[in-house]
Parts: sequence; C-alpha cells; structure tokens
Amino acid sequence: MSQWLVEFQDVYYTYPGTNQPAIANLTLRIPQGKRCAVIGQNGCGKTTLFLLANGLYKPQQGGICYGGKRINYNRNSLIELRQQVGLVFQNPEQQLIASTVEEDISYGLCNLGLSGKAISKRVPQVLDQFELTSFAKKPVHQLSLGQKKLVSLAGVMVLQPSLLLLDEPTAYLDPLHTRQLAQTLATIHTEGTTILMATHDLEWVDRWADWVFVLNRGKLLLEGTPKDVFTQGDLLNKVKLSIPLRFQLSSLLDEVNQSTTIEQLKTKILQILD
Amino acid sequence: MHLWLDNLSYNNRLRQLPPEHKLGFALVGLTIALISHPPVQIAIALWMSVWIVGYARIPFNIYGGMLSLAIGFWVTSIPALLISGVAVSARASIQADALSGLTIGSYYLYLSYQGFVQAGLIFARTLATVSCLYFVLFTTPFTELLQVLRRIGCPVVLTELLLLMYRFIFLLLSTARELWIAQQSRNGYRTRQRWIYSLSLLIRQLFQKTMKHYQQFVLSTAARGFNGQFRVWSSQSYQASQRYTLEASLGCLVLVIGNFLF
Repeated sequence: MSQWLVEFQDVYYTYPGTNQPAIANLTLRIPQGKRCAVIGQNGCGKTTLFLLANGLYKPQQGGICYGGKRINYNRNSLIELRQQVGLVFQNPEQQLIASTVEEDISYGLCNLGLSGKAISKRVPQVLDQFELTSFAKKPVHQLSLGQKKLVSLAGVMVLQPSLLLLDEPTAYLDPLHTRQLAQTLATIHTEGTTILMATHDLEWVDRWADWVFVLNRGKLLLEGTPKDVFTQGDLLNKVKLSIPLRFQLSSLLDEVNQSTTIEQLKTKILQILD
Repeated sequence: MHLWLDNLSYNNRLRQLPPEHKLGFALVGLTIALISHPPVQIAIALWMSVWIVGYARIPFNIYGGMLSLAIGFWVTSIPALLISGVAVSARASIQADALSGLTIGSYYLYLSYQGFVQAGLIFARTLATVSCLYFVLFTTPFTELLQVLRRIGCPVVLTELLLLMYRFIFLLLSTARELWIAQQSRNGYRTRQRWIYSLSLLIRQLFQKTMKHYQQFVLSTAARGFNGQFRVWSSQSYQASQRYTLEASLGCLVLVIGNFLF
C-alpha cells in the first residue's frame, strides 16, 4: 500500500455553466493514517475536492488514485470506493434519509448488500460506539442538530471506511458538541482511519491536524504541518486567511527586543485580540 | 402532518402491538361503521375513544381537538342539509317534511325533517369512521404503516416515495417556519400588500431551497452507495397482546350482532 491514500493528479473540474474552475490543475496527496485539514476561503474548492474524492464527480482532466490505483468510474468500482471513502456532509439534514436513527445507520450497509444478520450485528455496535443506543428507534426529525451530526457520522463510519471526509463538521455546533465530536474523531483516528476535514476553524486545525492543505481558487497554495503552514503569515494574509492565536503571539514575541516597551507590547496584543 | 401527532404515534401505550393488528382492527371497525346503523356507529366511536384515550393514553384534549376538527366539517354542511326551499306553489308537496319555514318572495324556505335525519346519519358515520382513522394515526408511526403496505405487496416505488415525502415534509415545514419568522421579524406581513408579496417570496424561496435539498440529497445517497432501491434495516420488534386481540375480536362481534338487533 502506498503511503498516500488518495492522490489528485493534475485534476481539473468546472461546474456546468461557469467559467471559473472549481478545481484547477490540482495535485494533492492525502497521507495515510494522518489527520488532515483543508482550509481556504469560501468557494476555494474544498467541497468539490471531497465530491471528487468520493467519486461523485469525475475529473474533466487529470485523474485520482485511491490506494495507488487509478479510480475507475464503473458501477462496481464506485460502490467499493464509496465504502472506502466515507463522506459526511456539512448539513446533516441533507444526509439523513431514513426515518429512524438505526434505519439511517443501516442504509449504507443495506446498499452494500450485506445479510440481515451481519447488519443486525454491526448497527448496534456502531450505535454503542457513538453513544446513540438510547436514540436507536427515535425518528430522525426529533433529534437535535448535534445529535443529527453524530448520526450522520455514525451512518458513514458503520461502513468502516479507510478515509473519512468531513465537510465543516463543527458548523452549527455548540462548544459541548464540538468537544464530543473531537473525542469521537480521536477514537476514529486511533482505530486507523485517515481523516480529511474541511473547516474554517483555524484554532481547531492548529490543535487537531497533523497535515494542512491550503486551497485557493481550486489550487493547492500550501501544505505541511500546522507549524509549516501557519508560520507563512504573509502568504495566508494574501488569500485572506487568518492565523491561529498561538502563532500570532509567537510571531509577536519574535519581534520583541530590549527596546520594546510594555505599552507597545500591550497595544500589539490588543491588536491581535481584536 | 404535525410533529406532535408524529410524537404521539411513537410514544403511546399501544406502540408495541404489531402494526398489522392495529391496521386490521381499524379496517374492521371502519367496515362495520360503513354498513351499520347509527346507534352502532356511535358505539364504535365511543369504543375507539376508549382504545385511543384509555389504552393508548393519548391526551383527551388532543383527541377531542382532532374530533372537533371533523365535527367542524360536519357543522359546515348542516345548513345545506337542514334548510330546503321550494316555490310557494309547491308548498303542499313538502308539508309532511317541513318542520317550520318562512316565505321570501315566491320562495318558501323551510327546515326539513329529512334534513335532520340526514344530518344525524352523517354525524354518526363521520364520528365512527374518523375515530377509526384516528386510532391508526395516533397509535401507529407512519413508517410502520408503510412497512405493512410493503408486506402486503404495495409497489415499492410508491412506499419509497411516501417514505421520502414523510422524511422531508418535516424539513420543508421547518424551512417554511424559519423563513416566515425571518420575514415577520422584519415586518414582512404588516399590510395586505406586503403580506401577499412576502408570501410569494416565501413560496419562491421554499421552491429554491427544495431544489437545493434535492440536489444535496442525490449526492448524499450516492455517497452512501445508493443502488436504485431504498433499503434499511430495523430492529423494531412487536408483541401481540392476547388480551387486546380477544377484546378487539369480541368487541367487533358484539358490534356486528348489535347491528342486526337495531
């Protein structure tokens, strides 16, 4: 198995009716077993990248490899790919389709054609793993948004994908649910799943990610560890991305010398906090 | 369908009974109601109320409210049933039917005895049939009704469509509510003109959002390996109750016999 789980090779994709490409000659490699984050402004191509990785969209130019093998867009290969590459959408309302929690979680397994016995074994395990057992028979529309997010994640993880794509997972979540999500993702990662997350929450990226991709207008602008990326302040500012507080303070402290007064330091800190 | 009705159907005391039993019971009750005399129909309505309020523990005010809705429709039809009119020259022909009346120009308007009888018959039948329908609505979640339909051979495409409609009706309602609140917060419905304009905006937005939801839905089902048939697994198990089965069977038998006696 290659050290890269998914490789985008010079991929180009434009939505019908638009001139601006959503993904423009993108070459990007997702390292296996890592917690990766994709950051960038709205419309930079994050969601399109996910839809391409899941095989929902086919590149108009270039190609995508999964596990070292070029994706084949025939029916059987796509079924296999979508089991291996789990995609959790930003809005769970658009992902949850069955009427009760356990039915929704079983949906992907039924699509794979597993036996009732196998499904009846796997669904309770996942319900337990995600602490959803008490909600198993509850109608989906009666859940809170945080619970819906968890169910949508469980519905994907039940397929045991090797790559989990998360589109803005912390959107709409309160701090409590965000913490719960972080714990759940930590467990998923420990069990060997590679995670790629699109987010605007740079503080989260700084704390959580092993590897960061910065996209701009469908192209890869920068990649590396959070430290590699967030120390490129000038480049990030050019594409209107901010820097996590830790790196801003660190950069400020680098500027401090003997002639810096307390008042100057205080002003600069307040500027950062603004 | 309202959310509270859905909540009650998931959280009532008869939830564990097999949906086939509940549907069968309601259908038998409905059939008897359609062929029986008014006293039996009233008995059916009362008996179903015992099942709904007494056994399923549906709050009486909710059940009463739903019944009053049906009675409301009945009330609106009363004037047409009770009041009849004939030309003054034909007054002699309705002498036996007219309870009282008044002459307006060349017409004679009167309260009809037959109209009263007809209204009573419709009332009894409405009450009986509606209570049978409410029994199903209050005690059986919609998705379980669909499962029964599937088991008895209803086309899959129809049950899947109904299931998706059921799932997304709540989404549509909440989106409409959010839009309506957003408009209200900016005085969108202040005058009649603004009311019409805001309503048209709301409908347009709902349509656009529905289309967007549909596109997202297609993507999300494909991402989860949709292969042309909507299949899910459920661990829901049911427990048939001997007591309820016996009571329902005996009750239906009594109603049928009662129909011959009246």
